[in-house]
Amino acid sequence: MAAPLPEVQLATAAPPPLPSLVNARQLRAQRLGRALRLWVPAGIIILILAMCFLLPLVTTLPSSTNGNIIYNNEAPFSPGHWLGTNVQGVDIFSQLVYGGQVAFEVAVSVTAIGIVIGGTLGVVAGYFGGWVDAVLSRVLDVLIAFPALVLALVIAEGLGPSEIHTIWALSVFGIPAVGRITRGATLTIRGLPYMTAARLAGTRSWRMIARHILPNIMPIIVTFSLLGIGVVIILEGALDFLGYGIPAPTASWGNMIANGQQILSAQPEYVLIPSIALLITVASLNMLGDALRERWGTQ
Amino acid sequence: MTDALLQVDDLRVTFPVGGREVRAVDGVSFTVEPGQTLAIIGESGSGKTVCCRAIMGLLPAGTAIRGSARLRGSELLGLSDAELRRHRGSDVAMVFQDPARSLNPTMRAGVQVAEAITTHRKVSKREASTQAVELLRLVRIPAAERRFHEYPHQLSGGMRQRVMIAIALACRPKLLIADEATTALDVTTQAQIMELLLDLQKELDMALIMISHDLGLAASYADEVVVMYAGKIVEQAPATQLFGAGGAVRMRYTRALLDAIPHLDRPAHTQLPIVGGRPPDPTALPPGCSFAPRCQYAEDDCRAKMPTLAEHTPSHRWACWHPCEEGGAA
Amino acid sequence: MTAPQPSDPGQQRAGAQQAGEPLLSVRDLVQEFTVRERGGAKAGVVQAVSGVSFDVMPGETLGIVGETGSGKSTLARAILQAPRPKSGSVVFRGAELTRLRGGKLLEARRHMQFVFQDPFGSLDPKWKVRAIVEEPLIAYRVGDRAARRKRVDELLDLVGLEPSRYVKRHPRELSGGQAQRVAIARAVALEPSLLICDEAVSSLDVLIQAQVLNLFERLREELGLSYVFIAHDLALVKQVSDRVTVMYLGKLCEVGPGDSVYRQPLHPYTRALLDSIPSTEPSATRASATIKGEPPSPINPPSGCRFRTRCPRATDLCATDEPVPRELATGHLVACHFPLTEPAPAAAAGNGSAAAQSTAASKAVS
Repeated sequence: MAAPLPEVQLATAAPPPLPSLVNARQLRAQRLGRALRLWVPAGIIILILAMCFLLPLVTTLPSSTNGNIIYNNEAPFSPGHWLGTNVQGVDIFSQLVYGGQVAFEVAVSVTAIGIVIGGTLGVVAGYFGGWVDAVLSRVLDVLIAFPALVLALVIAEGLGPSEIHTIWALSVFGIPAVGRITRGATLTIRGLPYMTAARLAGTRSWRMIARHILPNIMPIIVTFSLLGIGVVIILEGALDFLGYGIPAPTASWGNMIANGQQILSAQPEYVLIPSIALLITVASLNMLGDALRERWGTQ
Repeated sequence: MTDALLQVDDLRVTFPVGGREVRAVDGVSFTVEPGQTLAIIGESGSGKTVCCRAIMGLLPAGTAIRGSARLRGSELLGLSDAELRRHRGSDVAMVFQDPARSLNPTMRAGVQVAEAITTHRKVSKREASTQAVELLRLVRIPAAERRFHEYPHQLSGGMRQRVMIAIALACRPKLLIADEATTALDVTTQAQIMELLLDLQKELDMALIMISHDLGLAASYADEVVVMYAGKIVEQAPATQLFGAGGAVRMRYTRALLDAIPHLDRPAHTQLPIVGGRPPDPTALPPGCSFAPRCQYAEDDCRAKMPTLAEHTPSHRWACWHPCEEGGAA
Repeated sequence: MTAPQPSDPGQQRAGAQQAGEPLLSVRDLVQEFTVRERGGAKAGVVQAVSGVSFDVMPGETLGIVGETGSGKSTLARAILQAPRPKSGSVVFRGAELTRLRGGKLLEARRHMQFVFQDPFGSLDPKWKVRAIVEEPLIAYRVGDRAARRKRVDELLDLVGLEPSRYVKRHPRELSGGQAQRVAIARAVALEPSLLICDEAVSSLDVLIQAQVLNLFERLREELGLSYVFIAHDLALVKQVSDRVTVMYLGKLCEVGPGDSVYRQPLHPYTRALLDSIPSTEPSATRASATIKGEPPSPINPPSGCRFRTRCPRATDLCATDEPVPRELATGHLVACHFPLTEPAPAAAAGNGSAAAQSTAASKAVS
């Protein structure tokens, strides 16, 4: 027997679900847990951003690119060098701060490009369907098939490594990633009765997209973007590590790891410090993304 | 009364929700005789489903359940999981509303029935399969041997419900609880399933509790009808005493329900007598009669004091200070 | 009694509609869709609506009754051109909707609105009540902001929701009945002539359902609305409708005045539906299913009369010849070779000589 049609729902209102069984104390504990899961990572991110972007405006930090070789290998908490200096005498804390700037600049730029270009492609493909969807989906597929790192290598070889080139290369990855998520979310929303109702009310397509689709897919986009920023930071770090991202004298977390790699066994802190910075940043972004999804998902 | 199959006494079920108490079932008592068909009628939030889940032990741990529910003398409330498993299926079984979700979509229909058999009895797999096919025939599924091998998504809604019934009957329970079992079915399929259930009752000497929001279903198929509102029984009587010629509905809520459902012989475009408002918040039930805020016949005593459920005429109980007049008219 | 038509500038664009002409005229409507297996492979094409024709007169309520697979919801969408039907004609206020596109379609469809089954599904969860009800007014550029706000308040009042309490709420802060009222307020915002209600009260509790039904009746009187009321509950449909249409597997079985269809059902399926309804007036015979078997798969409907596999009166003729609707009483049509006005054919379900007999009998009637 062939697959039967899905049946029209004939039921009356389903009985209300049995109420949850938490008492007042448990409820408070749950709420506290939820708030912590949201604000602790958010606070960490805010701290990191403040450190990377506000601190240099407030105090003068030692140069992150040049160092006096006399003061090399200073230990952490030395005067004038909070985290010490590396082999060439460059201050580690400065490198961390300016490297963090670079990491966020690249990640936010790539994500923003992804949302603007990829998001638009995704929404248009999802909303209009048909041949528009077919064409745009193929475009996204082509982009996603590009291995981002290999592309970055090529661009770096051809045009020389720089921050801008890194952003271009990683956007090739960012655009289709956001595009596919947006397309999926748009497709889901488009099938809902309130979209048909809006159509029947006479609302034109652009207004449908702007007032109905965008507000309803925004939670998904934001959550995905936060996770995406974390991914891009790691990718950018990898590129720098390989030497195809931010060029050497400019500080970046990846470069720090690359430099420290040679003396890993002797002075592990040169690798550990930037690695821990990466870990805390990306983990916090992930946790924040999860907490937001939890909060908006239940709304 | 001691030979009643199921005796429920002053059943109370409360859930704590965020510091407040939801009185889902608020002192419900009824009996079910062997082979009898009892209909429990109520809208959403009346407590009808919670009541029967309490009897089946299907409520989450930590729910406050008080009172007693005795099946042939043995208490069903407060049992451990192991003891509950013994009762479920062999003494009491339940059929739910949505067979699409109650059946495992990855297992063949017949296998699920066979599994129900082996849970309670020690038989070989082959023997269980044979008995499963017999059960599928019992619930009037045509070509039972072929259907045994089909997956739930290949069956229609009516068929799936029959499979659910077969699973429930695997060990010949003495009491079957059907929780809105036909609500999601077409009316013609519903009639077929109800006929099946009634025939099975006679064949297997089984009592049936049907939970529904449909008074018509109760009128057509039940021996005894219980109407619930806000966790309490508000009216109870044999179906013949409530409906049809010579029947009289006395409690105002039952009357409102009866007036609100569509009647075939009503002329088109009649304005229905309506009851405004919504069912009460179960965490903040009004002090008097729970229906008083919506009842147009409510007086001060209705709002002040909760009416007691009492047998005012033989075998007809109701809880209302100002019930409808005899003869059913307002 | 023809209901008064609200005046509007779209009248001349939609084409003149003379008095006595139907408000909505559907002819031979066909709608299909492809069914996919799990995994996306094409399993077949279902013709959910197979040549349905009917009229709706101004001021009338036409009820459409059908069970699962009858095609009634698909029919509703096809009338709205959402999506466009595969073939057939839909003439609304004098304009052929199947040939209109874009702006012209929007303009013509302004006077036809829809109420969905799921009250919450049809409201955007991110919007407030005011914006929801205002949406059609904005889309059709009715009045300025102040005028629209006033109209929204009027509409909420009309459906029994106090404006000051409800305009700023989100759908999640409403109950089922309240949400459906908001949907109705939105639907009548543009003063439509026709309201199509697809199971509009089926997901509401009985007492709330009665409230909403009364609202429909009140709007019918106050606004002069015509309705197409779709449901699976025959008693419900009969109660609200002037005329009732019974559908089975994409085809029209019977159509006629509500009382006529109820007291004198002509089609065996209608009879089966009536018999299956559990009534609160139990006579000696309780509701029984005078219908056998399971509904056939819509992908492969039975040849000839689609109901024959479950019909107690079916014969060979029913398998070969598809019955055409014919008028047996005033305004009461039925598509059946052996309508219930005649005794059952001599040998139902497959017997050569009986087929000859029944052919003669049916020829005598037509």
